[in-house]
Parts: sequence; C-alpha cells; structure tokens
Amino acid sequence: MRFRRLAVLMVLLWSLLPLLWQLYTSLRTGSALISPQPGLSGWTLDNYRQILSGDPPFWRFLLNSTVVGLASTALTLLLAIPCAYGLQRQPARTRALLSGALLAAAVFPYVLLFLALLELARRFGLANHLLALSLPYAGLSLPLAVLLLGAAFRDLPPELEESALLEGLNTWQRLRWVLLPLIAPASASTGLLVFLFSWNEYPIALTWISRQELLTLPIAIARIAGSSVYTVPYGAFAAATVLGSLPLLALVVIFQKPIVAGLTQGAVK
Amino acid sequence: MTLLLTLPALLLLALVFAVPLLRYGWLSFHADSVITGLQPLPNGGANWLRLIEDERFWQDTVQTLRFAGLSVALELLLGLALALLLHQSWRGRTALRTITLLPWALPTAVMALGWRWIFNDPYGPINGLLQVLGQPALPFLSSPASTWLVVVLADVWKTTPFVALLLLAGLQSIPTDLYEAFALEGGTPAQALRRITLPLLLPYAFLAVLFRLAQALGVFDLVQILTGGGPAGSTETLALYSYLSAMRFLDFGYSATVMLGMFVLLLGLTAVLLLGRRLLAGGRA
Repeated sequence: MRFRRLAVLMVLLWSLLPLLWQLYTSLRTGSALISPQPGLSGWTLDNYRQILSGDPPFWRFLLNSTVVGLASTALTLLLAIPCAYGLQRQPARTRALLSGALLAAAVFPYVLLFLALLELARRFGLANHLLALSLPYAGLSLPLAVLLLGAAFRDLPPELEESALLEGLNTWQRLRWVLLPLIAPASASTGLLVFLFSWNEYPIALTWISRQELLTLPIAIARIAGSSVYTVPYGAFAAATVLGSLPLLALVVIFQKPIVAGLTQGAVK
Repeated sequence: MTLLLTLPALLLLALVFAVPLLRYGWLSFHADSVITGLQPLPNGGANWLRLIEDERFWQDTVQTLRFAGLSVALELLLGLALALLLHQSWRGRTALRTITLLPWALPTAVMALGWRWIFNDPYGPINGLLQVLGQPALPFLSSPASTWLVVVLADVWKTTPFVALLLLAGLQSIPTDLYEAFALEGGTPAQALRRITLPLLLPYAFLAVLFRLAQALGVFDLVQILTGGGPAGSTETLALYSYLSAMRFLDFGYSATVMLGMFVLLLGLTAVLLLGRRLLAGGRA
C-alpha cells in the first residue's frame, strides 16, 4: 500500500510538474523569473494581456487550430468509414494485404514526407490555405482511422446486416441507418485521435503556412519563442502554452475513455 | 462494388504516402538546388555517392539511432511499471490514467520550448534548485552529452503514457484464472510476473516498440525546437538534416536522398524486429 502511494506520487509529480511550471511562469513578471530570491510579489497577468493583444491576437491561433482540427476530423471520417466498410467486404487475401499496407503507413514517420507534400502544395496553390491543411492531415490519419473503424465493423454480428438486407435496404441505407449508429463509439475515438493529431502537427503546418494570421497553434507558439535569438520571452511563451493547452486538457479529461479506447484498440484487435 | 467505397480513401493515401516516396526516388537522381536554379537536372548517382561519403549523414545516423534506442528502452521500462500500477484495482486509478495522458496530448513543439526553459542556465527551475542546494548552475543545453539526455527525457516524458496504455491493454487481455491456477500450484507473484505476464505481454510490447521506434527515428519537432540540432550538431537527427538540406541549403535533390537513406534504415530495422519476433516466438513454441 505504502509503496503504491509513493509510486502514485512520483507519477503525479513526473506528469504534472513540467506543466505546473509553465502555469507558474505565465503568472510571473520577467524580473521575478530571473531574480535569485523570488519573493511573494511579482505576480501578474501581463503575459496573458500581451499575447491576447498581439497582432494577430492569440485567440486567432486557437481558432485556426480548431478549424483545421474539425475539418481534418470530418474529412478523415468521411473517407475512412466507407473505406473500412468496403474493406470488410473484400476477399480475405485483399483485406490482409490492404491491412498490412495500412499498418505500415500508420507506423511510418510521416515527417519524411514533408518535402514532397510541400512541392504538391506549391504546385496546386494550397500553401497558405488553412483548410487545405486538412488534406494531408486526413491522408496521414487515414491508416489508423481505417484500421480502427475496420475492427469496429468486424465486431458487428453478420446477422445484423443480413436482416437489413432482407428488409430491402440498399448499401447506403444499411450503412447509414444500421451500421453507422453501431460504430459511433469507434468513430468518436477515431475522431478524437485525428483532432489531437491535427492540433499538434508541426512539420507540415510549419512549411505550408507562412502568413502570420493563418498559423496554427504549435507554430505560433514556436514563433513567439523564436522572435529573439538571445532571450526567449518565456513569460509570454508560457502564457501561450497555458492557453493553447487548456482545450486539450479539457478534451483529455472529458473524453479520456474513448481516447484510450482508440489508442489501444489497434493493438487489441 | 464495395471496392468502390474504398477508392476515395485509397486515392488520398496514395497521394500522401506513395507519390512522395516515388518523387524522392526520382529527385535523388537529380541535382535540384540553388546551383541549378532550383530546376531538377539529372546527375546520375551523384547524390547517392555523396550520401555514402557524407560524414554528417553517418554522424546523424548514429545520433538518431542512439536517441531512438535509449528513448524507446526507457519508455518500455517506465511504461511497463506504469501499466502495472494502473492495472491494479484501487480508488483513483482512472484519475491517474487521465493525468498520465496529459503529457502525451500536448503538442511536442510546445513542450520542447517548455523543456528549454526548465533547463535554462541559470534561471530555469532545475538550476534554481541546484543553487538553493548550494551547487553551481549547470549549462545543461551547452554540452553535447547533457543536451542529448534532455532530449531523451523530453521524449520519454511525452510518450511513456502511450506505451503504458498499450501494455495496459495487454495486461487486461490476460485471463485472471491463469494467475489463480498458477497460485494454486504454489507459484509466487514474482514468478507469475516472469512466467505469465511478461510472455503474454510480448506481442503488445512488440507493437509498442515497432511504433515508437519508427516515430523516434523520425524525431523532428523536438530537436528542431529544443536544440536546433546543437550544440555543434551533436543532437542533429536525420529528419532534421533532411529538413535543413531542403529549407536552409535549398538542396532538394540531396534532401530527398537523405530521406530515402533514412527510409532504408527504417526498413532494415523493421526487418530485424520482425525477424527477432519470429525467432522469439519460435523459441517458445
């Protein structure tokens, strides 16, 4: 018992201290941060005021990331659900082959693709278009999404679709009215993972977007810190981190179960 | 007919995964840089010859492998400990699971800066603590060895929860009557861990290692922001090198070659892993 309590305490400190340090930094004045004996004074909201009144104001980046995240999630599900369903209807060998390819793509370190994707963006005029980011994001999310949703379709009893077939429902009707409601939990898990991925994605957003008012959150925060070579404005950066992390913290706390289900489902199936 | 349903997704997948790799194959046999006016000109195997003789490429290969090896090993160990802790039934374990998930959910790019601040010399909290203890401040991010360890720490901090969750799913898949039977036969808990838990966990651990190793070999955000590859290139990874080749040196042909070199490395390691799993499975059967 005592050992477990100690272990839990260590896990809590390990997970939370770096985050709490950001919160602390964001609430301190610059001079309090570099003073050797930080006293009780020196607390401030100036760091938040500074980034919220910046040009563009910080909420703009939150909005950008939300828009990209939602668009990528919608596009991924729109493509992945029919694909996963269609995949289950293929002969075993085709299915195994495609599943293997999808697994390889899901594991692939996608940063390797950035240069060719940037070339494509330039050729088709997609650079500096916020919504265009959802194309690579959906493409990169598809392998995992199709695998997760495929597993969900496979778990449904086959009699279900047979009886729907007897009722005279066509493929679209079966998918929309019978199967879709039943794979809603898997769709939610998948959607959450895609949203988190899009929200956090760095190399593609870094190379596709250069206009300040279109930056997504990670790039905007990295730019705040990179604005000066010698001294990073850590107070403003920490405030940006706190504001940029709050939506994610809320998502994780509210949707812990489906997120964990999505992360582990791939391994269990 | 149902194959048609898969087509839109497969097309986008081909565009995002296959087209880039084919394009790199083509680019790697072309000079495409400032010197050629950013126009691709065929140059035979010059890029590949350069790659083989490029000390920076090999140094980065060693550094990338070293980073990936140590990070994944630590993540596996800590992840197993965390999974065992989360697997026991006690009040508050759901809350702890949520909290451990937080580091995984935050953007790598953002926390990379956070770590730079935490290890700042002399104002970061670690050095603050050292000074309170009467020790001199340490320039963590100016010496190659400690910078490397900070990068590993940041990666371990972020991805251990992911490994732990995979292993936890594995633990939950082991039927409890297996343990009961083992205890009835007079086995101790420590023996049960070694004889039941670890062998049955192996497929999950394998999957976690496969996924994490591939991701760690491609590490980019973390090093680009936390260290920029420094000091003196000591934390530069292959992904960062190929990024710099393209975006700073504007040498697209060579950047593509570096990426393909990394791809070959990745394929080789995956083959070794798959072979290792087969040998391990064969040894037990």
